[in-house]
Amino acid sequence: MIISVNWLKKFTDIDVSIDELATLIGARLVEIETVVDLGKKYQDVLVAQVVECAELEGSDHLNVTKLDDGGVWLNVERDDNGYVQVVCGAPNVRAGILVAWLPPQSIVPETADDAEPFVLGARKLRGAMSNGMIASARELALFDEHDGILELDTDAAPGTKFADVYELNDYLLDIENKSLTHRPDCFGIIGFAREVAAIQGKPFHTPEWLAQLTPDFGEKQGDIMTPTVTIDDPELSARYQAVVLSGADGTKKTPLYIQTYLARVGVRPINAVVDVTNYLMMLTGQPLHAFDYDKLVKVGGGAADIHVRSGRVGEKLTLLDDRTIELTPEDIVIAAGETAIGLAGAMGGADTEIDESTKNIIIESATFSLYSLRATQMRHGIFSEAITRFTKGQPAELTAPVVADAVRLIAEWTGATRVSDVADSYPGKRDLPVIELTATQVNATLGTTYSVEQMRETLRNVEFDATASDDTLTVQAPYWRSDIHIAEDVIEEIGRINSYDAITLKLPHRDFTAVHPSDFDELRTAMRKALVRAGASEVLTYSFIHGDILRKVGQDPADSYRITNSISPDLQYYRQSLTPSLLGLVNSNVKNGYDQFALFEMNKVHSKTAELVEGVPAEMHRLGFVLVNKKDQASAPYYQAKRILDYMAQLLGMELSYKPLGDSNLALSKPFEPRRSARVVDVSSGQPLGVIGEYKKSVARGFKLPNYAAGFELLPEAIAIALNHKAPAYTPLSRYPSSERDICFQVAHDVTYQQIIDVTRNVLDTIDISSTVEPVDVYEPADGTTKNITVRLKFTAAERTLTGDEVTDFVARVASEVTAKIDAKIV
Amino acid sequence: MTNIEDLRQTLFARVSATNEPREILKAAELKQLYTVLPTLDPSERGAYGKAVNELKVTLEAAIVARENELEDATIEPLDVTAPWDVNSALPALLPTEQGTQHPLTRELENVIDIFTRMGFEAIESRQIDDDEHMFGALNFPANHPARDGYDTFRTEEGFIPPAHTSTMQNRILKAGKAKLEAGGHIAAVSYGRVFRNEDVDATHEHTFYQCEGVYVSETATLGEMLGTLQGFFETYYGQKLKIKTQPGYFPFVEPGLEFAIEKPAALGGKPGDWLEMLGCGMIHPNVLRSADIDPEKYRGFAWGGGIERLVMLKYGIEDLRHFESGKLAFLRKFA
Repeated sequence: MIISVNWLKKFTDIDVSIDELATLIGARLVEIETVVDLGKKYQDVLVAQVVECAELEGSDHLNVTKLDDGGVWLNVERDDNGYVQVVCGAPNVRAGILVAWLPPQSIVPETADDAEPFVLGARKLRGAMSNGMIASARELALFDEHDGILELDTDAAPGTKFADVYELNDYLLDIENKSLTHRPDCFGIIGFAREVAAIQGKPFHTPEWLAQLTPDFGEKQGDIMTPTVTIDDPELSARYQAVVLSGADGTKKTPLYIQTYLARVGVRPINAVVDVTNYLMMLTGQPLHAFDYDKLVKVGGGAADIHVRSGRVGEKLTLLDDRTIELTPEDIVIAAGETAIGLAGAMGGADTEIDESTKNIIIESATFSLYSLRATQMRHGIFSEAITRFTKGQPAELTAPVVADAVRLIAEWTGATRVSDVADSYPGKRDLPVIELTATQVNATLGTTYSVEQMRETLRNVEFDATASDDTLTVQAPYWRSDIHIAEDVIEEIGRINSYDAITLKLPHRDFTAVHPSDFDELRTAMRKALVRAGASEVLTYSFIHGDILRKVGQDPADSYRITNSISPDLQYYRQSLTPSLLGLVNSNVKNGYDQFALFEMNKVHSKTAELVEGVPAEMHRLGFVLVNKKDQASAPYYQAKRILDYMAQLLGMELSYKPLGDSNLALSKPFEPRRSARVVDVSSGQPLGVIGEYKKSVARGFKLPNYAAGFELLPEAIAIALNHKAPAYTPLSRYPSSERDICFQVAHDVTYQQIIDVTRNVLDTIDISSTVEPVDVYEPADGTTKNITVRLKFTAAERTLTGDEVTDFVARVASEVTAKIDAKIV
Repeated sequence: MTNIEDLRQTLFARVSATNEPREILKAAELKQLYTVLPTLDPSERGAYGKAVNELKVTLEAAIVARENELEDATIEPLDVTAPWDVNSALPALLPTEQGTQHPLTRELENVIDIFTRMGFEAIESRQIDDDEHMFGALNFPANHPARDGYDTFRTEEGFIPPAHTSTMQNRILKAGKAKLEAGGHIAAVSYGRVFRNEDVDATHEHTFYQCEGVYVSETATLGEMLGTLQGFFETYYGQKLKIKTQPGYFPFVEPGLEFAIEKPAALGGKPGDWLEMLGCGMIHPNVLRSADIDPEKYRGFAWGGGIERLVMLKYGIEDLRHFESGKLAFLRKFA
């Protein structure tokens, strides 16, 4: 929204500089995005009179004119009479009129904001010297009108500055609308001026005509059937007023001065009737709409029978912009009889549009449900100045004074007279609440020490009815403040207008109880640090992915929550696991020259297969990890991923075991090749923690992975549970030396390391001496039928040194049990 | 149509039995189906053509599945329990200097650490929520124009990827109610990922991080809120800072403010340079009420702001898109 400072000044004094004003408004009302110095554009533009005008010989449209600029502009060639010659091609140029003259060396205002503004000169056109130019409205950057030059309606003397005549030495404030969503009054200049007065500490006086809730409409000068107005459902519209005017002189124009005010705040002047509706909307925030009365009667079957109702299923309406839309029961419709003629608050219909032959005009002044209009706005994509204001919730009281002023202004600008009574349907009349609060409450909420009198004056400056008695404030907001309902609303007014920056800062009192980061956050930090130490890079990837990514790893898109209004198909589905997102990053990084790297992410996944929790989808934490090397390696990548996972587990104080993955239907397992992947299990709690492995061939192909690629995906919540079960594992150090023995088992190719360890461990657990078993070597001869697994047994007694015979006996017991249970040979 | 269904079963059986499944596409019976088409009544052709097409699509999928199965059958199983591969040794970790923490999680840890030390519990925000938590419990009526600013995504079920971490506020208030009524206060921050339907460029992302704070007690004031926020930013930047406010409108606070700090010297700031940091205000009585907290007895304040802003200013990061790009060229700068 654009606010003209000169327009504000018509309603309140402003005695601070523009910079100070902008700072003050920013701190106490609303953010200003930019301040534009409008006057700069017009500094050289002069009012001039065309004293002579003659056709230029040899041209079919150019005229040679002599301009009287009062002799003001220096550096220009003048004739004996002191006049300046300008060639002009506009059809409406003629002797006697006043025009805006852009002298040589001045900048064409239309180009003032361009990178290279156009500077006028003196040059010959068809042999005739032309000094500068006579400007059109478009060249003056006022509004988009270029059919002829702008004719001025002033009695200012030639040579007067154009900007002085039309008050264009102005500043425009570009306002951030969002912060005023709750302030319908500030969407009118008068409401904005009221705030500007108050934040300067000044009282404001609303113009009498706007404060008048039962206004005088002047004398009725004709007798046309007054429209009947019926609001079918009071939820849709609190109030609807309509009045008929007749006899507008179509040739009359809105005063140029008003046109320039409309233009500078972004509204294009159209004709006097439309300009009045726009002018009053900009002034008060109340939109008005004009219908052709006779067309409406015709559509309505012979009577001006206006209804406000819901749209009907299958009902169609052609709008002013020639679009035909299908209405829904959520739209509010203006109907004549049974026929829809307008989309309430949004746009009128083509069937009742005002045109040159219009004789009788209906002016509508109404208010509609802002919730319905917002939905209509979204559904039909209508973003007009009017609907922007309606969706802030204009108060119903406002319709009367504004329509009364519209009648007055249209009469003044077009000569039209009121020919009907004013129809008024007002089912939504509400009393303004009287709010009681205490000064103590205000100060306690804000942390201030304002006196009750200061609070009362602040509120009175913005025309609240406020009285103070001891500590108590009794407040009633003026009718235009439909946003004031409760004590907190009043507290906000007092705090804001006196500036929040004036509040003394304090810290809340609290006791000395320590607050801990949650265990889960600490776990995640620990895992993050471990993986970073292991050389991996943490990434964050989007929570939404393409359906093809799901399909590539064999996950079913039907199990993912789907975004209905996604930006692109790439961001359509919630992910079921993190691995696909990580795999998606591998190829581009390899191509960018990174040969060996690991990526990990901690984030959440969601699946429709999980039950809702308290009405919302379950959120599952995951830790995803992928490791690749562009170059093939002798060893399988699985073992390096496992090495890193074991390292992380060790830093967390856990011991993990790995069980063949086998067939798994979990979404988590889908990318992993079951023959080369494992389930990860916490040894002490038996808690399953996730999956580790190499990827399926189809997955590797789909993501263009190098041959050497493996990874894991774990459930941090399961890790947290496992860690909760962990008992302190410390045993006192022994003062006696340990004894170590290596033992090598030759086994069949398909015997696993774990089988040997399990049997070994079982035997060792029967011996009452502390012992460990560690891997030494895994050797497989070229034929691949057998393999040799060497482990190291280590024995430590707490109370004595073990003898060689004892150790030999322990080893023999292990050897015999393993050879018996697993069909192993000791070598 | 029945013969198409029969044929489907026959062909599928053949696909699962053969080692060259792609050959099945050349089956004579398939070609036969097309020759039937012109002989049919025109009214039946559409449905017939569709059924044939469907058969081809499902058959193709079955062939790909069978091909994968055949390919996978050649895969050598691993001893997943072994400490390392055969004829090999314990694999190395990656070079530790390659390890990098993401700058966003690093900064989030820092922010959470400061708030924790200030007495605020930290709770991670949700990534999918319902309308009630995202809007309803925060005093946004259905269809309220204040919702426009949030550009929310929706799932088919009507769930919302939250557009602000305030989606946790009602839960935080409910969880803290008992402590509050026992004479204590509620002090918590919620942090995490939020989503807005926005086109992506150097300064806009549809996915970003926020941190929101909530404080409720019998005596909370706006002055305490401003003091708390100033306290946080002074700790974060390690220097004294000036603050500035301007009125803002958020339905869940009243009064509502926007909060700015004077740009710290560490970031090359000069007096008069302001950084808009967050939105904040006193919690609206309706928001307290929706958590069953009596607004006559208790007051609170809340704030929320983005994390990326802090990180970008701190490191001089020029493009918001780097954060979720997963590019090592970017990540390796944060070793």
